[in-house]
Amino acid sequence: MKNNKLFKYLSTTPVIIYSISLILIPLLYILFLSFLTNDAYGGVEYKFTLSNYLTVFDYTYLKILFKSSLIALITTLICIIISYPFSIFLMDKSEKTRNFLIKMVMIPFLTNSLIRTYGWIVILRKNGVINTFLTSTNIIKNPLSLMYNSFGIIIGMVYTLLPFMILPIYSSVSKIDRSLIEAAKDLGASKWQVFKNIYLPLTISGLFNGSLMVFIPAIGYFFISDILGGGKIMIIGNLIKNQFLTARNWPLGSALSIFLIIITFILIRIYKKIGGNMDDLGGM
Amino acid sequence: MKKKLLLLLTILLLLTGCKNTKYKGTVNVLNWTSYIPDSVIRGFEKEYNIKVNYGTYSSNEELLAKITSSKKGTYDLIFPSDYMVELMIKRNIIEKIDKEKLSNIKNINESFLKQPFDKNNDYSLPFLLATTTLVVNKDNIKEDITSYKQLLNPKYKNNIVLLEDQRIVIGAALQALGYSINDTDSNHLEEAYNFLIDLKKNVKAFDSDSPKTFLITKEVDLGLVWNAEAILAKSENKNIEIVYPKDGYALSMDNYTIVKGSKNKENAYLLIDYLLRDENCIKIISEYPYISTNKNVGNYSTEELERIIKNGSYIENVGDKIKEIDKLWARIK
Repeated sequence: MKNNKLFKYLSTTPVIIYSISLILIPLLYILFLSFLTNDAYGGVEYKFTLSNYLTVFDYTYLKILFKSSLIALITTLICIIISYPFSIFLMDKSEKTRNFLIKMVMIPFLTNSLIRTYGWIVILRKNGVINTFLTSTNIIKNPLSLMYNSFGIIIGMVYTLLPFMILPIYSSVSKIDRSLIEAAKDLGASKWQVFKNIYLPLTISGLFNGSLMVFIPAIGYFFISDILGGGKIMIIGNLIKNQFLTARNWPLGSALSIFLIIITFILIRIYKKIGGNMDDLGGM
Repeated sequence: MKKKLLLLLTILLLLTGCKNTKYKGTVNVLNWTSYIPDSVIRGFEKEYNIKVNYGTYSSNEELLAKITSSKKGTYDLIFPSDYMVELMIKRNIIEKIDKEKLSNIKNINESFLKQPFDKNNDYSLPFLLATTTLVVNKDNIKEDITSYKQLLNPKYKNNIVLLEDQRIVIGAALQALGYSINDTDSNHLEEAYNFLIDLKKNVKAFDSDSPKTFLITKEVDLGLVWNAEAILAKSENKNIEIVYPKDGYALSMDNYTIVKGSKNKENAYLLIDYLLRDENCIKIISEYPYISTNKNVGNYSTEELERIIKNGSYIENVGDKIKEIDKLWARIK
């Protein structure tokens, strides 16, 4: 018994040290910075102020927050629309096929997401794969603008974040008792009715879980909006990055980060209230 | 199988171990991306038996963030631009240069010395001069482009690439309206904002890493880019024209400076002296065709150089006004 306890301590200590030194302390430092004053040369003065938080609520910055949320929301909806049919389709397949297809969803994770995002340039640009195909087969005359706009950003976000939606939805869909669906079908329910009355209520936890995991990163993934949006659309992630690198206003950048963390907390609370399981969020 | 793997690992470890002990010293350099060819750096390592740890950054602000957030003595030699040199002197980040230690200092063209940001070159020596220029692909644009204002033409919808740099782009807008590139008057900035909102309809992308790619792949026909990027784009497509706009353009001088608290100062001096040699300056500008400050290299004639410098302007520190400019940039996006 004693030995067991020792093992417990030994095995959890590294994780605790890791979390404290690399997550907790930097976060506290950011919280501390967000109440300080910024000097003209990009340094930080140790003078308490709340002005950074007031600046966050400036119209310009709120508009950026609104725009990022809209992009993140559209990304989340598209991910949901793709994930449900995919998960339901998987249910009818043999275990071997299922495992294989789920692995195919995971495989892109083995490559750096930045490199994968660059890959999309080759596909989407003016003389890229899609446009060359469409123009050379005379389907369209002028190449389509597939990137360097919000469309490009959303494609990149959906592509990068889709697995985070598929996995929780698939895991809750696969827990549904097959006989329920068979019974519904026997009683003459249409496909839509089966979805609305069986799938949706029984997978709501997975749906919210996936939505959180997609929505939150989508607000902040500045590299996708830089690469596929051509730097024309600023999302909240770009704004924070700019405060640390270009504008040299670390306190404002910190206040924006804290604001983003608060939004995340609120979303998680809503998730919990609706009946979401916290273990599902951390247990990915 | 396991044994073989272990053996392989041991050999690898030994090999890397050997490599490290070969050098008698190191020097830690932080420089702009795409500025010094790898072969030049390897040449220095071979000749002096000193290992060069070479890191890169893509904006002055990133450099400042890297220096101020790292431990003292992490970096030895850095290459800040004009206004950043001034700021680094004020913030006590760089130290005085001992010119006695640089025998090749005589190669520097004197017209590049004694700049307003460091009047006696106590802290910095010029390395390269960059300018922004307009680039026009004559294959598709028949009009003569000489001014930023012409870029507003609705014909050029989605056909322009601009540098992802708030000071440069807002500065260009200010110049198009007849103001100074460093103007911080709120009304003038507001006018620049309106100009850029109009211009944005024609902009395909903001990119600082490799705007030439947009021109080479014919994604766009117009661009506001650094001169070396323009020259490299032209070398891929002869019909690309380089234009110094009559409204003015930005100049940016990058300088050798030594970080305060440097632990490998002597090696840093050796590297500066090595980079000042004529043959190395030639190697650098043949790969990255900026304007060399070496008087024996001269990739631009004296008159040409005088004209370029006369009509361009350096970006200056605007102090606290940077917040207003940053907010303007956020509004434009």
